[in-house]
Amino acid sequence: MQTQARVRRWPWVAIGLSLATAFTLSMMSPADSVQGDLVRIMYVHVPSAWLAYLAFFVTFIGSVAYLLTRDLRWDRIAAASAEIGVYFTGLAISLGMIWAKPTWGVWWTWDARLTLTAIMFFVYLGYLALRRTTEDPVLRAGRASVLGVLGAIQIPLVHFSVIWWRTLHQPPSIIRPDGPAIQDPLMLVALIGGVVAFTIVYVSLMVKRIELIHLEDRKSAVESAIERPVAGEAVTAPKLGASS
Amino acid sequence: MTAGFWRQVMAVVERDLVRERRTGDVLWVTIPFGAIALLLIPLAVGTDALLLSQIGPGMYWVIVMLFGVLVAVGKASSETLPQQDAAALAGLDPAAGFVGRSTSATMLLLAFEVVVGVVAVGLYNLTLIGIPWLIVTLVIVAVGLALLGTLTGAIVNSTSAGTALVPLLVAPLSVPLLLGATQAYDGLRFGHSILSWVLLMAAVVLIVAMIGVLTARPLQET
Repeated sequence: MQTQARVRRWPWVAIGLSLATAFTLSMMSPADSVQGDLVRIMYVHVPSAWLAYLAFFVTFIGSVAYLLTRDLRWDRIAAASAEIGVYFTGLAISLGMIWAKPTWGVWWTWDARLTLTAIMFFVYLGYLALRRTTEDPVLRAGRASVLGVLGAIQIPLVHFSVIWWRTLHQPPSIIRPDGPAIQDPLMLVALIGGVVAFTIVYVSLMVKRIELIHLEDRKSAVESAIERPVAGEAVTAPKLGASS
Repeated sequence: MTAGFWRQVMAVVERDLVRERRTGDVLWVTIPFGAIALLLIPLAVGTDALLLSQIGPGMYWVIVMLFGVLVAVGKASSETLPQQDAAALAGLDPAAGFVGRSTSATMLLLAFEVVVGVVAVGLYNLTLIGIPWLIVTLVIVAVGLALLGTLTGAIVNSTSAGTALVPLLVAPLSVPLLLGATQAYDGLRFGHSILSWVLLMAAVVLIVAMIGVLTARPLQET
């Protein structure tokens, strides 16, 4: 029983430890010579954006796997990942706006990366809205998985937008053919540490959310079984304890 | 894809066009609605002729995206569940149904684009440059929107939200088409090559077509 409780608690412990580490690293990193302390927003903004890509890519994989196997576990993975992805896309956009106001002088600019990220956010918001319109888990999985595949068109478009268009948003800082653009080792460690920590947070949240979706599906299956007539409309279950 | 498949496609196209001839949804509702929207924009942003000629092409494409998708969705979601069951029992290949509905929606969308385009040229004083490329763009956008509308119409069909959900799904997904179309027009205006934009739109159309054909059967089962 104690071991079971410990297993159930590990995602929360992992989230706490990861976020604490990321926070410590971002505080240890020096202020930027141009941006000053504003650069610390990047230690959350960049990992959030990375997580959004990862989450939506997992949604795509889960959707394809569901269509191929019809195993509802894949649909739960896709759904959980999309929810987390929408949350972190929202976080990345909000933090980007907070950073942009003092840096660029505006909350929002019609930059390709920004605009396409906002659009990606709405694509997956639509995905979540679609899921809410169907109660039956099998029907819901079939519809949502097609949209999960279709929505993935946006992911490469958002990622390559800084390369295809001349944008205000800077190009990739770490994964570049000529090595990372960040020269200060502490800054690089803080950024990579943030990415690793957020990835652990993602995995932990996924474990909890998948478990929750599974329980929700079981609950709705039990509820619909209770409401369903025993043998057609003519014969219904007796209402025990009824006064009249 | 056999001759039987294409016969089924043609049967679905014919059915949809006959239905449109009877109801006139696109001709008498969607096209006038698009034209009214083009009339309303200058009332909101000002009637300066130079400004209107600058924003006109963009406004035209936005109207095509937002209103045009109603054409495709209307056709995709007009089938009731018993009708779908009857079609399935009659042996209609779900992929042929998807291709047929998309084809008829493409034809209606092209009509929508042309009529609303003429209205836009007149109201916004637009100059048509590079007409062959413009035709290619119009056709690709029509095919892309038809595919997207048909696919999302099939996804939301018989959900509790019904077609109310479609604009939320289609509007963000049609962004590559909107970007490609507007950038292609600007490219033509400034004498640049628009091949890369045409290829981007064609790639999106191809991907959506593949997804639509491959998922037609699973969607029919839902």
